Amino acid sequence: MLELLDLHRRFRDVVALDGVSFTVPEGRIVGFVGRNGAGKTTAMRIALGVLDADQGQVRWRDAPVDTAARRRFGYMPEERGLYPKMRVLEQLVYLARLRGTPKAEARANAERLLATLEVVGDPDARVESLSLGNQQRVQLAAALVHRPELLVLDEPFSGLDPVGVDVLSGVLRRAARDEGAAVVFSSHQLDLVERLCDEVVLIDQGRIAAQGTIDELRASRARNLWQVQLRDVSTRWWEVIPGTTPVRSVDGTIVLELLPATDPQRVLDVARSAGDVLAFGPVRASLQELFREVVS
Amino acid sequence: MNGPDRGAWRLIAARDFWVRLRERSFLISTLLNVGVISVLVLARAGGGLGGAPSFDLGTVGGSDVVDVANAAATLGYPDITVRVHPYPDPASADAALRDGSIDAVVTETQLYGLESVDQRLEALVQTSAHQIAVEAVFAEHHVPEAQRAAASRTSPLALGALQPAPPDRQKNAGVAFIGVLLLYGQLFGYGMWVATGVIEEKASRIVEMLLSAIRPRQLLAGKIIGIGVLGLAQLITIAAFAIGLALATGTGVVPATAIWAALLVIGWFILGYGFYASLFAAAGSLVSRMEELQNVIVPINLTILVSFIISIGSLQDPNSTLAVVASILPVSAALAMPVRIVLGVASGWQIALSLALLIGSAVALVPVGARLYAGAVLRTGSRVRLRDAWRAA
Repeated sequence: MLELLDLHRRFRDVVALDGVSFTVPEGRIVGFVGRNGAGKTTAMRIALGVLDADQGQVRWRDAPVDTAARRRFGYMPEERGLYPKMRVLEQLVYLARLRGTPKAEARANAERLLATLEVVGDPDARVESLSLGNQQRVQLAAALVHRPELLVLDEPFSGLDPVGVDVLSGVLRRAARDEGAAVVFSSHQLDLVERLCDEVVLIDQGRIAAQGTIDELRASRARNLWQVQLRDVSTRWWEVIPGTTPVRSVDGTIVLELLPATDPQRVLDVARSAGDVLAFGPVRASLQELFREVVS
Repeated sequence: MNGPDRGAWRLIAARDFWVRLRERSFLISTLLNVGVISVLVLARAGGGLGGAPSFDLGTVGGSDVVDVANAAATLGYPDITVRVHPYPDPASADAALRDGSIDAVVTETQLYGLESVDQRLEALVQTSAHQIAVEAVFAEHHVPEAQRAAASRTSPLALGALQPAPPDRQKNAGVAFIGVLLLYGQLFGYGMWVATGVIEEKASRIVEMLLSAIRPRQLLAGKIIGIGVLGLAQLITIAAFAIGLALATGTGVVPATAIWAALLVIGWFILGYGFYASLFAAAGSLVSRMEELQNVIVPINLTILVSFIISIGSLQDPNSTLAVVASILPVSAALAMPVRIVLGVASGWQIALSLALLIGSAVALVPVGARLYAGAVLRTGSRVRLRDAWRAA
C-alpha cells in the first residue's frame, strides 16, 4: 500500500499541496481526479521522489520510501519524455536496467509489452520516427517494463485513440488484478475513471475533497435525488409532500431532492394520484456530477 | 544507498559513452584532430617549426666556391646538415632559389637567399670562407704547419647562462604547443558535450523518467564519467597517433620526451575535466533549450579560452609572472601548467601547489555543480536563476 501522509508543498507564494493524504492499496486501481492546478502532478511527483515535500511523508508497505523501494515503482510523467534518437527496444531495456532489472529479463519484458500495447513499428527504429500515438504507447511500456509493484501514471489516457484506451485499460486491470500492483492514475476523462477504477481520490485546491469507492462517494456526497415522469401533468403536485425540493424539470420529467426523512414511496403515491407515472427512480449521480458537486 | 543501486551511474556512463562514440561529430572531431596534428608534426619534420635544421646550398663559380660550401657542410656536421648543389650559372641558381629547391646561393663575392639567409647558414658559410681565405694566406707565405695550427686554434669564450634553458627547449616547445592545443580542444569540446547532454535530457523531458529511477547525483556522475572516458580514449588515440607519426617522420623528438608529454597532457586533461565538467553540467541544467546554452556557457568558455591564450603565450616566455600565476590558479592551471612542465621551467613547489589547488577546488566544485544541477534540472521553461537552483536542491 502506498500512503501519502499530510503532504505540504508550496512553490514561492503558491500553495500546491495543503495537507494531502490518501492511500493506494495493492491490487486496486485508484483514479486521481481534480481540476487543472489542483495539485495532482505535484502529489504524484512527490510520491515518486522526483520532487520533495516541504512537509509530510510517503510510505510504501509501511516504511518510508527509499531508493530501493522507488526502483520498483513505475512512472509515466505528465511531460512525456524519452530519448528521441534512441532505439525503441534499446531504450526500454535501458530504462528497466536503470531500475535494476537484469538485461535478459528487461529485454523479454520489453518485447512482450511492445506486443501487448500493440506498438506499430520496428523495435529497432528510433523513438522519434514513430507516430505520436505509438510514442505514447512506448512511454507506457517504459513505465511498465520493470514489472513495477506500484504504477503512478499522470494522464496516461490523454492522446490515445479509443483502441488505445481499451488496450491501456486492459493492461492496467491486469497489472492490478493479476500481478497485484497498486495503480494510481490521474485523468480528466471521468467516465473512464468511473468505469475502470475501484476507488477515486478527488483533489481540490491542494486538499483531498473526497476519497472512496464511487458508491461510497455517492452515499456521502450525492444529494438524494429522485426523478418522476408524468404524462401531461402541469400541476405542482409535489408541494404537498414535506421535505421535497424541485431541482430541475425537463420534458415532463422532474427531479426532486428529498430530505433523508422523506420516504420515496410517499412521493410515488402522490405522483400516481396526480396522473399517469411513466417513470420513477433514484438519480444515480455520475462521477462527473459528483465532481462538480465537490469542486463547486 | 542500497546494494543494487550502485551500478546505476555505470549504466548512465556506458550509454553516454556509446551514444556519443557513434555520433558523427565524434568521428569528425577525431579526424580533425588527427589532421591538424599530422600537419603540425609533418611541418616540424620539414624543419618548419625548428626541427633538426638542414639546408640546401647552391654554388655558382669555380672550385674555390664549392670548397667554401663543402667546408660549411663539414663545419655544420652533425648538428646542421648542409647539402651542396653546384649550378653552372647565376640564372639557373636563381631559378632553383625561386622554386624552393635550395635555401641560399654562394658565389665568389656573395651569399644570398630568396628573401633572406638563415643566420645559422650564414654563420657557417662566412666562417668557412674566412678559414679558406686564411689558409690561402698561410700557404702563400709558407707558414709552417705547426704555426698554422696555432693560429687557427681558437680559444673561444666559455658560454654560460644564469638560468640555463633546458636542452631541447625548441623541440619541447613544439611538443607543448601540440599538447596544449589538444588539451584545449578536449576540455572545451567534452565540457560542451556534458552541457548539451544535460540540456538534451531536459528538452526531451526524459530527465523526469530518469530521476524517478535514480538520484540526480548518480545521473550527473554517470554523464560526466561517460563523456570524460570517451574524451580520454580519444585523447589517448590521438596522442599515440601523434607520437607514432613524430617518430616515424624523424622530427628529432626524443621518444621518452614525447611519451612523457603525452602522459602529462592526459593527466592534466583528467584534472581539468574534473574541474570544468560539473560547471558545464550546472550551466546546462539552468536552461531548457539548446538555443539558450550560449547565454549561460559564456563565462566558462571565456575562462578556458583565456587560459589557452595565456598558455600559448607562455611557450615564448614560460617564466613571466602571468604564465606562472596562470599555471597555479585552478581556473587556468589545466592548460597553463603542462606547458611549463614540458618546457622544464616549473619548479617542484609550483607543480605541487598547482595540483593541490586544482584537485582541491575540483573536489569542492563537484558538490556545488551537483547541487545546482539537482535544483535546476527538473525546472523547464524559462532560465533558472543560480540562486533559485541553489535553494531548490
